[in-house]
Amino acid sequence: MSSIRRIHALAVNTVREAIRNKLLYALLGFGILMIASGVLLASLSYVEVDEILQDVGLGAIRFFGSGIAIFVGIGLIHNEVDRRTIFTILSKPVSRAEFLVGKWAGLTITVWLQLLLMGVAFVVVSMGAEATLRPEHALAIAMIGLELMVLVAIATFFSAFTTPMLAGLFSVGLWLIGHLSRDFYALGQQAEDESVSRAASALFRVMPDLEVFNKTLEAVHGLPIPLAEVGMAGMYALGYTVSTLMLGAMIFARRDFK
Amino acid sequence: MSSRALRLLALSIAIGCTGWAHARVPHTTRADRGVDFVPSPRAAQAAAFGFDALVADYHWLQAIQVAGGQEMVDETAAIQLGKLVDVVTTLNPHVDHPYRFAALWLTHSPELVREGNRLLERGIAVHPEDWRNRFYLGFNHFFYLGEYDEAAQALEIAMQRPGSPAYLPRLVARLKSHRRNLDVAETFLREMLAGASDEDAAAHIQSSLDEIEIERKARLLDKARRVYRRRTGREIGDVAELARGEDRVLEKIPSPEPDAIPASLRRGSVWRIDPETKRFVSSYLGSRYEVHYSSWDRARLERWRTADAVDAPDDETVLEDRVEDEEVGPRGG
Repeated sequence: MSSIRRIHALAVNTVREAIRNKLLYALLGFGILMIASGVLLASLSYVEVDEILQDVGLGAIRFFGSGIAIFVGIGLIHNEVDRRTIFTILSKPVSRAEFLVGKWAGLTITVWLQLLLMGVAFVVVSMGAEATLRPEHALAIAMIGLELMVLVAIATFFSAFTTPMLAGLFSVGLWLIGHLSRDFYALGQQAEDESVSRAASALFRVMPDLEVFNKTLEAVHGLPIPLAEVGMAGMYALGYTVSTLMLGAMIFARRDFK
Repeated sequence: MSSRALRLLALSIAIGCTGWAHARVPHTTRADRGVDFVPSPRAAQAAAFGFDALVADYHWLQAIQVAGGQEMVDETAAIQLGKLVDVVTTLNPHVDHPYRFAALWLTHSPELVREGNRLLERGIAVHPEDWRNRFYLGFNHFFYLGEYDEAAQALEIAMQRPGSPAYLPRLVARLKSHRRNLDVAETFLREMLAGASDEDAAAHIQSSLDEIEIERKARLLDKARRVYRRRTGREIGDVAELARGEDRVLEKIPSPEPDAIPASLRRGSVWRIDPETKRFVSSYLGSRYEVHYSSWDRARLERWRTADAVDAPDDETVLEDRVEDEEVGPRGG
């Protein structure tokens, strides 16, 4: 049995497990409700109505998608340890790294499925409100998918060595920092002390830059999203995910489950 | 009483108490809290955590609430509106209407108008092809600040943008002439006439050129009147006095109608002295060729100018200097 097949089996199992998680449906339900509530919010304004509707829709997709990625992701490993099922899995010819990657792949697929559902809700609401839909909207949602992939990797990473509570705190913290890292970097470059600006640069390289995946404004206002930019964002997401999972696998390999 | 009924009674009392207490809590909204509670654009950007568009929309709805919740937007509310729109346009510069919305309300003082202009300039940078932001900018410059050169500059670009109204070139010409610089206005209009695409547009421009011609004659009469006053020490009784008798200063009174107009279209117009402004006016036009303000707006403009520019040269002095430089034309006496 090749490594890919083992990871595939673990991923399928993780999807089955994740779609039984009630938290996932609660977040998905709130997400769709929020997308629909955009109609109400937009009606409060006499101009920019379509823009507000779609800002709310894409914001809800990103917010609740991130919530699903983080709060379902942080319990991935802990649940297996808690139920002692991890011993059964690891007693088979499955490496710890394959286990971690399988968990990540399964949750990423689950999150992407939720993203697809919320995307459909967004399209339905936009069409119902006769708001313009462009290919840029699909690109923006795809970029959110890349962000969620990175977030699942981060949640899996923390889940590999700490409790769900701490993993949740760290993941949410990194998610927030991920949307501010460019500002921190810019602030650091303005510092008179060179060591501060060097530290800011180093942190900017290490911390996730999640604004890379934020194309809401461009999509809503019909501005072009260059495909080259999407491609580079995809490479960045893949690189960051692989690095995070490799680091997580290294820590997970040394973890004592007793 | 059964325990079920007791529980229902307790629930009703709890709900009633909650409602009673809530009704007595002041229901101020964020918009009611005033300008001190509007975050700085940078702080709002940092707190948005990537949801910039959503936070911008939230502040935009607050701005609408501030403007719509009052019968008249006073200066305090206008300052709050300006700050809210600053947040909106910093977080989401691609918005369209908020730039003009701010400019519409920020009119209580020169500082507020300039703040409105700053926001409009930000809008122009994002939407360079939209004539409306440039139009509002030009309007603010001439109507509120009396800055005719800046106004003409903004409107001249606006009139070249698609969808701009056909009257803009005439307004630009009028603004250019306001500084008594009729030559600039005329050259501008002649260029426009040369490039006019249809007969209607050409007719409109030609009528503006006619207005300039009559204004030029009116200014000649103004100048002649000053010379007459200096020579005789008295005011003229009627226009004809300028070319009549021993003290005449003109060979003849210029026609109050455009010279090139065919005889069949002549209206028998006359020069008269406006009883209110004491200025020469041709009955052909009914008013002088300049930007018109209501008396209230003119007073406001003067008040702002006095407060705004203590050291700056007075506009009227500049105008007088320019008039002195102009040709008087034929001399009599």
